[in-house]
Amino acid sequence: MEGRPLDDVALVERARQGDVNAYEALVQQYQQLAFRVAYQVTGDAAEAEDAAQEAFVNAYYALGRFRAGAPFKPWLCRIVANEARNRRTSARRRTVLAERALVAQSSGGSAQSPEAAAEADEFRSTLVAALKTLREDDRLILAYRLFFDLSEAEMAEALDCPRGTVKSRLSRALARLRAALPADIRMPVVGGESDG
Amino acid sequence: MADPRGMTDVELERALRDLAPRYPYPPTPNLASPVRLRITAQAVAQPRRLELWRDPRRLALVAAVLLVLLGAAALANPVTRDAIAHFFHVRGVIVNREASPLPSLSPVTPLDLGRRTTMADAQSRVSFTIAVPAEVGQPEAVYVVSGIPGGEVALAYTPRPGIPLVKQTGLGLLISEFRGDLIPGFITKGVGPGTTVEEVSVHGDRGWWIAGEPHIIYVQVAGTDQMETLRMAANTLIWEHAGVTYRIESGLSKADVFKIAAGLP
Repeated sequence: MEGRPLDDVALVERARQGDVNAYEALVQQYQQLAFRVAYQVTGDAAEAEDAAQEAFVNAYYALGRFRAGAPFKPWLCRIVANEARNRRTSARRRTVLAERALVAQSSGGSAQSPEAAAEADEFRSTLVAALKTLREDDRLILAYRLFFDLSEAEMAEALDCPRGTVKSRLSRALARLRAALPADIRMPVVGGESDG
Repeated sequence: MADPRGMTDVELERALRDLAPRYPYPPTPNLASPVRLRITAQAVAQPRRLELWRDPRRLALVAAVLLVLLGAAALANPVTRDAIAHFFHVRGVIVNREASPLPSLSPVTPLDLGRRTTMADAQSRVSFTIAVPAEVGQPEAVYVVSGIPGGEVALAYTPRPGIPLVKQTGLGLLISEFRGDLIPGFITKGVGPGTTVEEVSVHGDRGWWIAGEPHIIYVQVAGTDQMETLRMAANTLIWEHAGVTYRIESGLSKADVFKIAAGLP
Protein backbone atom coordinates (compact mmCIF):
# COMPACT_ATOMS: atom_id res chain seq x y z
CA MET A 1 0.00 0.00 0.00
CA GLU A 2 2.24 2.78 -1.19
CA GLY A 3 2.32 5.61 1.25
CA ARG A 4 -1.14 4.97 2.62
CA PRO A 5 -1.22 6.22 6.19
CA LEU A 6 -1.89 3.66 8.83
CA ASP A 7 -5.35 3.92 10.25
CA ASP A 8 -6.03 5.07 13.78
CA VAL A 9 -6.45 1.60 15.21
CA ALA A 10 -3.06 0.46 13.92
CA LEU A 11 -1.35 3.68 15.02
CA VAL A 12 -2.92 3.53 18.48
CA GLU A 13 -1.90 -0.09 18.86
CA ARG A 14 1.67 0.71 17.89
CA ALA A 15 1.72 3.71 20.20
CA ARG A 16 0.48 1.48 23.02
CA GLN A 17 3.52 -0.70 22.41
CA GLY A 18 5.67 2.37 22.95
CA ASP A 19 6.17 3.40 19.32
CA VAL A 20 6.74 7.14 19.63
CA ASN A 21 6.70 7.58 15.85
CA ALA A 22 3.22 6.10 15.65
CA TYR A 23 2.03 8.44 18.35
CA GLU A 24 3.62 11.40 16.62
CA ALA A 25 1.66 10.47 13.49
CA LEU A 26 -1.53 10.48 15.55
CA VAL A 27 -0.67 13.90 16.96
CA GLN A 28 -0.09 15.24 13.48
CA GLN A 29 -3.38 13.82 12.32
CA TYR A 30 -5.39 15.22 15.20
CA GLN A 31 -3.57 18.35 16.26
CA GLN A 32 -5.91 20.66 14.38
CA LEU A 33 -8.98 19.02 15.89
CA ALA A 34 -7.46 19.04 19.38
CA PHE A 35 -6.41 22.65 19.12
CA ARG A 36 -9.83 23.70 17.86
CA VAL A 37 -11.72 21.77 20.51
CA ALA A 38 -9.52 23.40 23.13
CA TYR A 39 -10.07 26.78 21.53
CA GLN A 40 -13.84 26.30 21.67
CA VAL A 41 -13.48 25.91 25.42
CA THR A 42 -10.80 28.48 26.22
CA GLY A 43 -11.40 31.12 23.56
CA ASP A 44 -7.70 31.87 23.80
CA ALA A 45 -5.08 30.62 21.36
CA ALA A 46 -2.21 30.27 23.83
CA GLU A 47 -4.37 28.50 26.40
CA ALA A 48 -5.75 26.24 23.69
CA GLU A 49 -2.25 25.34 22.52
CA ASP A 50 -1.12 24.51 26.05
CA ALA A 51 -4.26 22.51 26.73
CA ALA A 52 -3.99 20.54 23.48
CA GLN A 53 -0.32 19.79 24.06
CA GLU A 54 -0.96 18.71 27.64
CA ALA A 55 -3.88 16.57 26.47
CA PHE A 56 -1.73 14.75 23.92
CA VAL A 57 0.93 14.04 26.54
CA ASN A 58 -1.69 12.84 29.04
CA ALA A 59 -3.39 10.75 26.38
CA TYR A 60 -0.10 9.04 25.57
CA TYR A 61 0.32 7.90 29.13
CA ALA A 62 -3.35 6.92 29.31
CA LEU A 63 -3.14 4.69 26.23
CA GLY A 64 -2.86 1.69 28.52
CA ARG A 65 -6.43 2.34 29.65
CA PHE A 66 -7.69 2.92 26.12
CA ARG A 67 -10.02 0.18 24.94
CA ALA A 68 -8.35 -1.58 22.01
CA GLY A 69 -10.16 -0.93 18.74
CA ALA A 70 -12.26 1.94 20.17
CA PRO A 71 -12.34 5.20 18.18
CA PHE A 72 -9.47 7.49 19.09
CA LYS A 73 -11.09 10.76 18.04
CA PRO A 74 -13.85 11.11 20.68
CA TRP A 75 -11.57 9.77 23.40
CA LEU A 76 -9.04 12.43 22.54
CA CYS A 77 -11.76 15.11 22.40
CA ARG A 78 -12.76 14.25 25.93
CA ILE A 79 -9.22 14.53 27.26
CA VAL A 80 -8.67 17.80 25.39
CA ALA A 81 -11.92 19.34 26.60
CA ASN A 82 -11.17 18.38 30.21
CA GLU A 83 -7.69 19.82 29.98
CA ALA A 84 -9.04 23.00 28.38
CA ARG A 85 -11.70 23.39 31.08
CA ASN A 86 -9.03 23.15 33.74
CA ARG A 87 -7.22 26.04 32.14
CA ARG A 88 -10.14 28.15 31.08
CA THR A 89 -10.64 29.85 34.38
CA SER A 90 -7.07 31.11 34.39
CA ALA A 91 -7.43 33.05 31.15
CA ARG A 92 -10.52 34.51 29.65
CA ARG A 93 -8.98 36.82 27.17
CA ARG A 94 -11.21 37.39 24.24
CA THR A 95 -10.34 38.38 20.74
CA VAL A 96 -13.82 38.79 19.39
CA LEU A 97 -13.08 41.86 17.33
CA ALA A 98 -10.13 40.31 15.59
CA GLU A 99 -12.15 37.18 14.99
CA ARG A 100 -14.96 39.15 13.44
CA ALA A 101 -12.46 40.67 11.08
CA LEU A 102 -11.21 37.19 10.23
CA VAL A 103 -14.72 35.94 9.54
CA ALA A 104 -15.31 38.86 7.22
CA GLN A 105 -12.06 38.17 5.40
CA SER A 106 -12.65 34.49 4.90
CA SER A 107 -15.97 34.60 3.07
CA GLY A 108 -15.54 33.32 -0.45
CA GLY A 109 -18.76 33.13 -2.46
CA SER A 110 -17.76 34.33 -5.92
CA ALA A 111 -21.32 33.99 -7.14
CA GLN A 112 -22.66 36.22 -4.37
CA SER A 113 -23.31 39.90 -4.86
CA PRO A 114 -21.23 42.16 -2.60
CA GLU A 115 -24.36 42.94 -0.59
CA ALA A 116 -25.22 39.28 -0.11
CA ALA A 117 -21.60 38.47 0.82
CA ALA A 118 -21.54 41.28 3.36
CA GLU A 119 -24.81 40.06 4.79
CA ALA A 120 -23.51 36.49 5.07
CA ASP A 121 -20.36 37.75 6.76
CA GLU A 122 -22.32 39.76 9.23
CA PHE A 123 -24.54 36.83 10.02
CA ARG A 124 -21.55 34.52 10.56
CA SER A 125 -19.92 37.07 12.84
CA THR A 126 -23.12 37.30 14.82
CA LEU A 127 -23.31 33.52 15.01
CA VAL A 128 -19.74 33.33 16.32
CA ALA A 129 -20.50 36.04 18.87
CA ALA A 130 -23.69 34.26 19.95
CA LEU A 131 -21.81 30.94 20.29
CA LYS A 132 -19.38 32.64 22.61
CA THR A 133 -22.15 33.72 24.93
CA LEU A 134 -23.26 30.11 25.39
CA ARG A 135 -22.25 27.87 28.23
CA GLU A 136 -19.15 25.95 27.30
CA ASP A 137 -20.89 22.56 27.25
CA ASP A 138 -23.52 23.92 24.83
CA ARG A 139 -20.81 25.37 22.61
CA LEU A 140 -18.86 22.13 22.73
CA ILE A 141 -21.79 19.89 21.79
CA LEU A 142 -22.65 22.14 18.85
CA ALA A 143 -19.03 22.18 17.74
CA TYR A 144 -18.66 18.40 18.05
CA ARG A 145 -21.72 17.82 15.90
CA LEU A 146 -21.62 20.63 13.38
CA PHE A 147 -17.98 21.68 13.19
CA PHE A 148 -16.10 18.45 13.87
CA ASP A 149 -18.66 15.97 12.49
CA LEU A 150 -18.72 13.57 15.41
CA SER A 151 -21.44 10.93 15.24
CA GLU A 152 -23.91 10.61 18.09
CA ALA A 153 -22.00 7.67 19.49
CA GLU A 154 -18.75 9.61 19.30
CA MET A 155 -20.37 12.62 20.95
CA ALA A 156 -21.60 10.46 23.81
CA GLU A 157 -18.03 9.22 24.28
CA ALA A 158 -16.53 12.70 23.98
CA LEU A 159 -19.05 14.23 26.36
CA ASP A 160 -18.99 11.24 28.68
CA CYS A 161 -22.78 11.01 28.71
CA PRO A 162 -25.34 8.33 27.78
CA ARG A 163 -25.98 8.15 24.06
CA GLY A 164 -29.72 8.67 24.63
CA THR A 165 -29.18 12.15 26.03
CA VAL A 166 -27.02 13.46 23.17
CA LYS A 167 -29.94 14.43 20.94
CA SER A 168 -31.82 16.30 23.64
CA ARG A 169 -28.69 18.10 24.78
CA LEU A 170 -27.96 19.12 21.21
CA SER A 171 -31.50 20.36 20.78
CA ARG A 172 -31.33 22.41 23.97
CA ALA A 173 -28.01 23.90 22.88
CA LEU A 174 -29.53 24.92 19.55
CA ALA A 175 -32.47 26.52 21.35
CA ARG A 176 -30.15 28.51 23.58
CA LEU A 177 -28.08 29.58 20.58
CA ARG A 178 -31.22 30.72 18.81
CA ALA A 179 -32.26 32.74 21.83
CA ALA A 180 -28.80 34.34 21.95
CA LEU A 181 -29.12 35.71 18.42
CA PRO A 182 -30.20 39.32 18.14
CA ALA A 183 -33.58 39.97 16.51
CA ASP A 184 -32.32 42.64 14.18
CA ILE A 185 -29.67 40.61 12.34
CA ARG A 186 -30.61 39.77 8.77
CA MET A 187 -30.42 36.07 8.12
CA PRO A 188 -29.17 35.14 4.69
CA VAL A 189 -30.04 31.89 2.96
CA VAL A 190 -27.08 29.63 3.58
CA GLY A 191 -25.97 26.29 2.30
CA GLY A 192 -29.06 25.74 0.17
CA GLU A 193 -27.19 25.19 -3.04
CA SER A 194 -24.99 22.41 -1.76
CA ASP A 195 -27.19 20.65 0.75
CA GLY A 196 -29.94 20.04 -1.81
CA MET B 1 -34.68 37.60 5.33
CA ALA B 2 -36.27 36.80 8.63
CA ASP B 3 -35.77 37.08 12.34
CA PRO B 4 -33.05 34.47 12.96
CA ARG B 5 -34.79 33.53 16.18
CA GLY B 6 -37.52 32.02 14.06
CA MET B 7 -35.07 29.57 12.49
CA THR B 8 -35.82 25.90 12.80
CA ASP B 9 -33.22 23.52 14.22
CA VAL B 10 -32.47 22.33 10.71
CA GLU B 11 -31.90 25.88 9.45
CA LEU B 12 -29.74 26.74 12.42
CA GLU B 13 -27.73 23.56 11.99
CA ARG B 14 -27.25 24.42 8.34
CA ALA B 15 -26.07 27.91 9.28
CA LEU B 16 -23.55 26.40 11.70
CA ARG B 17 -22.31 23.90 9.14
CA ASP B 18 -21.88 26.79 6.75
CA LEU B 19 -19.90 28.61 9.41
CA ALA B 20 -17.69 25.58 10.22
CA PRO B 21 -15.06 26.00 7.47
CA ARG B 22 -14.94 29.74 8.04
CA TYR B 23 -14.84 29.71 11.83
CA PRO B 24 -12.14 32.16 12.89
CA TYR B 25 -9.73 29.76 14.54
CA PRO B 26 -6.19 30.93 15.13
CA PRO B 27 -3.67 28.94 13.08
CA THR B 28 -3.08 25.45 14.47
CA PRO B 29 0.32 25.32 16.15
CA ASN B 30 2.71 22.41 15.59
CA LEU B 31 2.08 20.13 18.55
CA ALA B 32 3.79 16.99 17.25
CA SER B 33 7.35 18.08 18.04
CA PRO B 34 6.81 19.41 21.56
CA VAL B 35 4.61 16.43 22.43
CA ARG B 36 7.27 14.03 21.19
CA LEU B 37 9.95 15.82 23.14
CA ARG B 38 7.85 15.76 26.28
CA ILE B 39 7.01 12.09 25.92
CA THR B 40 10.61 11.10 25.51
CA ALA B 41 11.69 13.48 28.25
CA GLN B 42 8.93 12.55 30.67
CA ALA B 43 9.51 8.88 30.15
CA VAL B 44 11.94 9.04 33.02
CA ALA B 45 9.23 10.15 35.39
CA GLN B 46 7.26 6.98 34.82
CA PRO B 47 7.26 4.62 37.77
CA ARG B 48 9.06 1.82 36.02
CA ARG B 49 8.85 -0.80 38.72
CA LEU B 50 5.13 -0.31 38.98
CA GLU B 51 4.81 -0.66 35.23
CA LEU B 52 6.68 -3.92 35.26
CA TRP B 53 4.43 -5.38 37.90
CA ARG B 54 1.35 -4.18 36.09
CA ASP B 55 2.28 -6.00 32.95
CA PRO B 56 2.76 -9.71 33.65
CA ARG B 57 4.05 -10.49 30.14
CA ARG B 58 6.73 -7.88 30.43
CA LEU B 59 7.57 -9.01 33.92
CA ALA B 60 8.07 -12.56 32.67
CA LEU B 61 10.24 -11.29 29.86
CA VAL B 62 12.31 -9.21 32.23
CA ALA B 63 12.82 -12.22 34.45
CA ALA B 64 13.91 -14.32 31.48
CA VAL B 65 16.32 -11.70 30.21
CA LEU B 66 17.83 -11.10 33.62
CA LEU B 67 18.35 -14.81 34.04
CA VAL B 68 20.35 -14.86 30.82
CA LEU B 69 22.30 -11.69 31.52
CA LEU B 70 23.04 -11.97 35.20
CA GLY B 71 23.11 -15.74 35.34
CA ALA B 72 25.82 -15.84 32.70
CA ALA B 73 27.71 -13.00 34.30
CA ALA B 74 27.72 -14.84 37.60
CA LEU B 75 29.52 -17.84 36.17
CA ALA B 76 32.94 -17.62 37.70
CA ASN B 77 34.62 -20.60 36.08
CA PRO B 78 36.50 -19.24 33.07
CA VAL B 79 36.27 -22.50 31.16
CA THR B 80 32.49 -22.68 31.49
CA ARG B 81 32.28 -18.98 30.91
CA ASP B 82 34.12 -19.10 27.62
CA ALA B 83 31.91 -21.92 26.46
CA ILE B 84 28.78 -19.89 27.04
CA ALA B 85 29.55 -16.29 26.65
CA HIS B 86 32.21 -13.70 26.14
CA PHE B 87 32.61 -10.74 28.40
CA PHE B 88 33.93 -7.33 27.61
CA HIS B 89 34.54 -4.86 30.37
CA VAL B 90 34.82 -1.20 30.81
CA ARG B 91 34.57 -0.12 34.40
CA GLY B 92 30.85 0.22 35.12
CA VAL B 93 29.83 -1.80 32.10
CA ILE B 94 29.70 -5.52 31.45
CA VAL B 95 29.05 -6.57 27.89
CA ASN B 96 27.77 -10.06 27.65
CA ARG B 97 28.05 -11.87 24.32
CA GLU B 98 25.41 -14.55 23.83
CA ALA B 99 25.59 -17.31 21.25
CA SER B 100 21.84 -17.39 20.67
CA PRO B 101 19.50 -14.48 19.99
CA LEU B 102 18.21 -12.74 23.08
CA PRO B 103 14.51 -12.16 23.61
CA SER B 104 13.40 -8.92 22.06
CA LEU B 105 11.79 -6.19 24.11
CA SER B 106 9.33 -3.56 23.00
CA PRO B 107 11.22 -1.26 20.61
CA VAL B 108 10.70 1.76 22.79
CA THR B 109 10.69 1.46 26.54
CA PRO B 110 10.60 4.56 28.69
CA LEU B 111 14.13 5.69 29.39
CA ASP B 112 15.16 5.92 32.99
CA LEU B 113 17.54 8.80 32.68
CA GLY B 114 16.86 10.35 36.05
CA ARG B 115 15.47 13.73 36.91
CA ARG B 116 15.41 16.42 34.27
CA THR B 117 17.30 19.46 35.41
CA THR B 118 19.67 22.21 34.39
CA MET B 119 23.31 21.65 33.54
CA ALA B 120 24.36 23.67 36.59
CA ASP B 121 22.19 21.64 38.93
CA ALA B 122 23.38 18.37 37.39
CA GLN B 123 27.00 19.45 37.81
CA SER B 124 26.42 20.20 41.48
CA ARG B 125 25.08 16.69 42.03
CA VAL B 126 27.76 14.54 40.45
CA SER B 127 31.32 13.96 41.59
CA PHE B 128 33.00 14.46 38.20
CA THR B 129 33.14 17.25 35.66
CA ILE B 130 30.37 16.88 33.12
CA ALA B 131 31.79 16.95 29.62
CA VAL B 132 29.76 18.27 26.69
CA PRO B 133 31.17 17.45 23.25
CA ALA B 134 31.73 20.54 21.12
CA GLU B 135 30.75 18.62 18.00
CA VAL B 136 27.08 18.59 19.05
CA GLY B 137 26.97 21.45 21.55
CA GLN B 138 24.58 21.80 24.47
CA PRO B 139 21.94 19.06 24.81
CA GLU B 140 18.21 19.75 24.62
CA ALA B 141 17.75 18.08 27.98
CA VAL B 142 19.96 17.19 30.93
CA TYR B 143 19.09 14.44 33.42
CA VAL B 144 20.74 13.57 36.66
CA VAL B 145 20.64 10.59 38.97
CA SER B 146 22.14 11.65 42.25
CA GLY B 147 21.21 8.66 44.40
CA ILE B 148 23.99 6.41 43.10
CA PRO B 149 27.69 6.57 43.96
CA GLY B 150 29.21 9.54 42.17
CA GLY B 151 25.97 10.28 40.36
CA GLU B 152 25.10 9.88 36.71
CA VAL B 153 24.30 12.48 34.12
CA ALA B 154 22.54 11.96 30.79
CA LEU B 155 22.67 14.45 27.95
CA ALA B 156 19.76 14.07 25.52
CA TYR B 157 19.83 15.44 21.98
CA THR B 158 16.78 15.43 19.75
CA PRO B 159 17.12 14.26 16.15
CA ARG B 160 18.35 16.87 13.71
CA PRO B 161 19.94 16.91 10.28
CA GLY B 162 22.97 14.66 10.55
CA ILE B 163 21.71 13.02 13.74
CA PRO B 164 18.97 10.53 12.90
CA LEU B 165 16.22 9.44 15.22
CA VAL B 166 16.99 6.36 17.27
CA LYS B 167 13.86 4.28 17.62
CA GLN B 168 15.01 2.71 20.86
CA THR B 169 15.40 6.03 22.67
CA GLY B 170 13.17 8.39 20.74
CA LEU B 171 16.21 10.66 20.72
CA GLY B 172 18.94 11.50 18.26
CA LEU B 173 21.84 11.13 20.62
CA LEU B 174 22.13 10.06 24.22
CA ILE B 175 25.35 10.57 26.17
CA SER B 176 25.69 9.13 29.66
CA GLU B 177 28.50 9.84 32.08
CA PHE B 178 29.00 8.18 35.45
CA ARG B 179 31.67 7.00 37.88
CA GLY B 180 32.28 3.52 36.53
CA ASP B 181 35.01 3.05 39.13
CA LEU B 182 32.47 3.39 41.96
CA ILE B 183 29.68 1.24 40.48
CA PRO B 184 31.34 -1.63 38.60
CA GLY B 185 28.17 -3.53 37.65
CA PHE B 186 26.09 -0.49 36.80
CA ILE B 187 25.30 -1.45 33.23
CA THR B 188 24.93 -4.95 31.86
CA LYS B 189 24.60 -5.34 28.15
CA GLY B 190 23.38 -8.43 26.38
CA VAL B 191 24.62 -8.77 22.83
CA GLY B 192 23.21 -11.33 20.42
CA PRO B 193 24.72 -12.79 17.24
CA GLY B 194 23.48 -9.87 15.08
CA THR B 195 25.48 -7.34 17.06
CA THR B 196 29.19 -6.72 16.72
CA VAL B 197 31.44 -5.79 19.62
CA GLU B 198 34.72 -4.22 18.58
CA GLU B 199 37.53 -3.20 20.86
CA VAL B 200 38.48 0.40 20.20
CA SER B 201 40.76 3.05 21.60
CA VAL B 202 39.33 6.43 22.54
CA HIS B 203 42.16 8.89 23.22
CA GLY B 204 44.25 5.89 24.21
CA ASP B 205 41.65 4.52 26.63
CA ARG B 206 40.18 1.14 25.89
CA GLY B 207 36.56 1.07 24.88
CA TRP B 208 33.99 -0.90 22.95
CA TRP B 209 31.99 -0.10 19.87
CA ILE B 210 28.75 -2.09 19.89
CA ALA B 211 26.86 -1.94 16.62
CA GLY B 212 24.42 -3.73 14.37
CA GLU B 213 21.28 -5.24 15.83
CA PRO B 214 19.93 -3.44 18.88
CA HIS B 215 21.21 -4.97 22.09
CA ILE B 216 19.72 -5.26 25.52
CA ILE B 217 20.81 -2.89 28.22
CA TYR B 218 20.10 -3.39 31.89
CA VAL B 219 20.95 -0.63 34.30
CA GLN B 220 20.87 -1.16 38.01
CA VAL B 221 22.75 -0.35 41.14
CA ALA B 222 22.95 -3.62 43.03
CA GLY B 223 21.00 -3.67 46.24
CA THR B 224 19.24 -0.36 45.75
CA ASP B 225 15.94 0.77 44.35
CA GLN B 226 17.48 3.85 42.87
CA MET B 227 16.98 2.89 39.30
CA GLU B 228 16.33 -0.07 37.15
CA THR B 229 16.04 -0.03 33.39
CA LEU B 230 15.79 -2.80 30.90
CA ARG B 231 15.49 -1.79 27.29
CA MET B 232 16.89 -2.19 23.80
CA ALA B 233 19.82 0.04 22.86
CA ALA B 234 21.18 1.19 19.51
CA ASN B 235 24.82 1.56 18.40
CA THR B 236 26.90 2.44 21.40
CA LEU B 237 30.44 3.55 22.09
CA ILE B 238 31.62 3.05 25.67
CA TRP B 239 34.94 3.87 27.27
CA GLU B 240 36.32 4.93 30.56
CA HIS B 241 38.75 7.67 31.42
CA ALA B 242 40.00 8.63 34.87
CA GLY B 243 37.24 6.75 36.66
CA VAL B 244 34.44 8.20 34.57
CA THR B 245 32.65 5.97 32.08
CA TYR B 246 31.25 7.58 28.95
CA ARG B 247 28.55 6.08 26.83
CA ILE B 248 27.27 7.45 23.50
CA GLU B 249 24.16 5.84 22.03
CA SER B 250 23.00 6.88 18.59
CA GLY B 251 22.17 5.75 15.09
CA LEU B 252 25.40 7.27 13.81
CA SER B 253 28.27 5.49 12.11
CA LYS B 254 31.40 4.64 14.03
CA ALA B 255 33.30 7.47 12.33
CA ASP B 256 30.67 10.04 13.27
CA VAL B 257 30.47 8.84 16.85
CA PHE B 258 34.25 9.11 17.14
CA LYS B 259 34.00 12.73 16.02
CA ILE B 260 31.66 13.34 18.95
CA ALA B 261 33.85 11.32 21.30
CA ALA B 262 36.79 13.51 20.30
CA GLY B 263 35.17 16.30 22.31
CA LEU B 264 34.97 14.20 25.47
CA PRO B 265 37.82 13.16 27.80
